[in-house]
Amino acid sequence: MSRLGPETMAGKATAETGFVLLDGPGGVAVAMTAEAARETGRRLIAAADIADEQPRADD
Amino acid sequence: MRDDGAERVTDKFLCGRGRQRLGRDELALLDRTVERVRDLPPRHTLIRTGEQVKVSTLLLEGFMCRYMDDHAGYRQLVAVHVPGDFVDLHAFPMERLDHDVATLSACRIAMWTHATLEEIVETRPHLTRMLWFSTLLDASIHREWIFRMGRLDAEGRIAHFMCEMKVRLDMVGLVKNDSFDLPLKQADVAEACGLTGVHVNRVLRGLRERDLLIFRAGQVRIMNWKQLSALAQFDPAYLRGGL
Repeated sequence: MSRLGPETMAGKATAETGFVLLDGPGGVAVAMTAEAARETGRRLIAAADIADEQPRADD
Repeated sequence: MRDDGAERVTDKFLCGRGRQRLGRDELALLDRTVERVRDLPPRHTLIRTGEQVKVSTLLLEGFMCRYMDDHAGYRQLVAVHVPGDFVDLHAFPMERLDHDVATLSACRIAMWTHATLEEIVETRPHLTRMLWFSTLLDASIHREWIFRMGRLDAEGRIAHFMCEMKVRLDMVGLVKNDSFDLPLKQADVAEACGLTGVHVNRVLRGLRERDLLIFRAGQVRIMNWKQLSALAQFDPAYLRGGL
């Protein structure tokens, strides 16, 4: 039995009929408008930059 | 119709999942004590959340669902029922439900009063146990739905849903040559799988292009069970309660 930890593989983002679909990582499955996707991407990158500077906790 | 003239309504009850443990007299008792049989139109709400329930419903024909709405009114299906399922037997001890019950297609249902079920509980312990068992099978399906929503990606969720529908309908004789009627809209599949319609549409197209499954005009055809069930991490044991 494994313990769920942070994902190490990136999700897959695709465009479909004017929306952005995010599949993964893990069980993530969400559709959003292009605007929401753009802002989510911006926020993900900003959080990743901060995470890079933090000591990593044990999973 | 049975020999004694009672309408046979229990023909699909627990088929493929323990029906052989029911005695003919027990099935005859259920047939004999049904309060009424009703026809319902599609998209009809039978029971609303919190409403007091005094009957229990067996689905004879068609498809029904149980669902919950979020504060914004978006619906999450928490169960889909096929012929042979008791839809709300758990309302007998609970008296009120924490979800709505509705038809997805035109349906025919049989209903027993809770007074009748009370008498069965008092006088027929084995039949009571089998009715209880049927609610536990529902619980098993709920657990599998939690797994599906929590651990599978969009493709896995839809593959799993379709595999489950196929096995459940096969148990009640409604699958032919790996094809079956599933009079659901893509929006219903989306609400069962926690996805948007856009996502469902894309996944179904992908499954079709890879020759795994076709879902069109209310019909499903499974072209490659082995690959589809592997994609879904599907093991039908939960549908049989370990039998």
